[in-house]
Amino acid sequence: MTKLPLEGIRIADFTWVWAGPFCTLQLAHLGAEVIRIETNKRPCTTRTLPPWLNGEPGINRSGYFNQYNQGKLSLSLDLKEPRAVEIAKELVAKSDVVCENFAAGVLERLGLGYAELQRVKPDIIMIALSGYGATGPESHFVSYGPAQVPLSGMSSLTGYDGWPPMHVGISYGDPTGGLHGAFAVVAALLYRARTGQGQFIDLSQQETSVAVLPEGVMDYTMNATQPPRRGNRDPHLAPHGVFRCAGEQRWVAIVARTDEEWVRLARTMGRPDLADEPRFAALAGRKAHEDEVEACITEWTSSRTPSEVTAALQAAAIPAFPSYDGRDLAEDPHLNGAGFFVRLEHPEVGALQHVGIPWRMSGTPCAVRRPAPCLGQHTDYVMGEILGYSSDEIQRLRTEKVLF
Amino acid sequence: MTQQALAGLRVVECGHMISAAYATKLMADLGADVIKVEPPRHGDPARTRGPFPGGTPHPERSGLFLYLNTNKRGVTLDLQQPDGQALLRRLAADADLLVHNFPPPQMAGHGIDVDGMRARNPRLIVTSITPFGMTGPHRDYEATDLTLWNAGGVAYLNGGGPGADDLPPLKAFGQQAEFQGGLNAALAALAAVFARWQTGEGQHVSVSIQECVAAILELTFEFYPYMGLTASRLGQKPIQPVDFLECRDGWIFVCCIEDHQWDKLVELMGTPEWASIELFENRLTRAANWDALKLFLQEWAQTQSVMDLYRAGQARRIPLAPVSTMADLLASDHLKSRGFFAVIDHPVAGPLRYPGAPYGFALTPWAIRRPAPLLGQDNQEVYAALGLDSEAVRRLSDRGIV
Repeated sequence: MTKLPLEGIRIADFTWVWAGPFCTLQLAHLGAEVIRIETNKRPCTTRTLPPWLNGEPGINRSGYFNQYNQGKLSLSLDLKEPRAVEIAKELVAKSDVVCENFAAGVLERLGLGYAELQRVKPDIIMIALSGYGATGPESHFVSYGPAQVPLSGMSSLTGYDGWPPMHVGISYGDPTGGLHGAFAVVAALLYRARTGQGQFIDLSQQETSVAVLPEGVMDYTMNATQPPRRGNRDPHLAPHGVFRCAGEQRWVAIVARTDEEWVRLARTMGRPDLADEPRFAALAGRKAHEDEVEACITEWTSSRTPSEVTAALQAAAIPAFPSYDGRDLAEDPHLNGAGFFVRLEHPEVGALQHVGIPWRMSGTPCAVRRPAPCLGQHTDYVMGEILGYSSDEIQRLRTEKVLF
Repeated sequence: MTQQALAGLRVVECGHMISAAYATKLMADLGADVIKVEPPRHGDPARTRGPFPGGTPHPERSGLFLYLNTNKRGVTLDLQQPDGQALLRRLAADADLLVHNFPPPQMAGHGIDVDGMRARNPRLIVTSITPFGMTGPHRDYEATDLTLWNAGGVAYLNGGGPGADDLPPLKAFGQQAEFQGGLNAALAALAAVFARWQTGEGQHVSVSIQECVAAILELTFEFYPYMGLTASRLGQKPIQPVDFLECRDGWIFVCCIEDHQWDKLVELMGTPEWASIELFENRLTRAANWDALKLFLQEWAQTQSVMDLYRAGQARRIPLAPVSTMADLLASDHLKSRGFFAVIDHPVAGPLRYPGAPYGFALTPWAIRRPAPLLGQDNQEVYAALGLDSEAVRRLSDRGIV
């Protein structure tokens, strides 16, 4: 029988919003049994945000939650109840990994800090993903996903030439932190497999966000300066931009990596005059006249669709691709043919299209095995099958709103 | 002494630029033994990208290369020649993991023969990071970081703004599609190592960078399947204030997601009269009337200092964040107290501060054992381990293979 890479690994998942759930999503993709601990009293933020199926709100109907919690189970447990904290510890005792992304100190106050959990499960691996990390003078600061982009330095480097700092379009610190976190968990699992020892991992989203900005940081540590905001341009390549096409807000990205590619680009545009223009022959010249080069390209692209431009340039082996929106992605034949999208039957929203797993494994093929859980959908399974409670006890805990 | 988490893991990296190099850096910094294979003469193109001290290009002084290749040993090998490919097969025969980022049309020409390598070493895990995956109509499309950031749909979500809808979708700084590819590859490859613990078998892991980017669209992608809508970078935001304001000494980001955070911000501003008008009553009306509100807020912010405001706001649990410059990051007391920036001494580039541990392992710390390799620095040692004496390495060198 084919196994999944993390088959048999159980994750007690105390995370919420995006960074933590994105971390445990990866572990679920890899075959771990991820059990979300959540409560109706204060549902995960993403359960309360759109998009809703057909615009009708509902705790199990959010596309945001249903995207980033695929493959997980849900145990509804109100950790404000002391009895619930004991149940959470029982679950940790039967788990391999604990993931959480509360502000520093919150789980300790609930009696679920690492030292306590290590007592109930000596080889537990625990990762805390927080905005600022578990130590340091700002560790207690409030952090929201969108604020990580400016905090990490990304915004001061991103923007149009001569414009103010800008955002990047998503809360980029969340997935970047989540992926670093999932990698760290697998590394800790390998170490535990070798030595039998678990450990605590402190992940700061600020730091994982800075980790992907070396071209900015190293410029400062070398030269006490930082790269200017350059829009879509690149200091080493020209042209390097996103160009207007025919239609409402339709755009195409085009890059020439070499002088030869520039010549082919010019010829493909039907502009042999540009291919022969000595000012544009070398990179330095194209950089010096980049506005003019870009205007020539826009003149050509603006009467064509992104697909037409892409097809013509790819036929000449020049990097080009449409700037895809959500619908373009959803309908893309390549991504659909590659089996990237997932459509599993969900009890409240049915079989809708979700983004799947960006890797393929020949020996242990990963697949999304179940849709995102409804809140509390697996309470009976977790309490009964994993923790050994009788149905009477489970019913009583429900009545007492411990399971809620 | 406690070993590092990935001590003993043997990795061969045939990477150019970022994705494969970042994947194996993550492993090397946790203790894996990574051999980086570069083309003779010029090496990895990341050596030409900089930033460079004084802006002067030098293959051993590129900040990007120095950062991405810490803790690795370096060899040169011409993978386009049959004898170079034969040596790569011998390196792969001894490895746990081979990570490369040649696109599919270039794999065979660089000796990446997954089946052949795995036949010789069934425990080998080959990880291929490609623009569009190993199959499908776009498999062989030419691509760069910019085209892939657009192909994955993130670029379309950013840029433009009031009165600037004619400006194009805007990339994030750096080469973020490449980093996403590297992160996913590191994770999937390491999971395959974990699987091998149980199965004893290696395998082929393939990562599509386009898919990696499409996997991080936050709530935006699902607007199409759930509601038939496409998210746009233009138009008003659902909630405000979640935006940049200019202070007297820099920029600050205000992120009042919840109404109670706005109430605290109003308090911090000294409860100005305009804040009580109906247009700014809740987070939705503040979004609908953001043009007007932003003028008020901007007028107030321009008299403030970023760091004073940041601390005063955070003391009231208002999610404010400075728009950090690189100088701010290097000067941050918080990052200093966590020891985030690591000083790494390199024989040519000298001692410099680098972004350091992205996570703290309590038991098996992230650590720098050696700086990025000089071009071909470890040829003798690595090839000697394959049984080549220095004379044989010299002959290969004369033929331009190493």
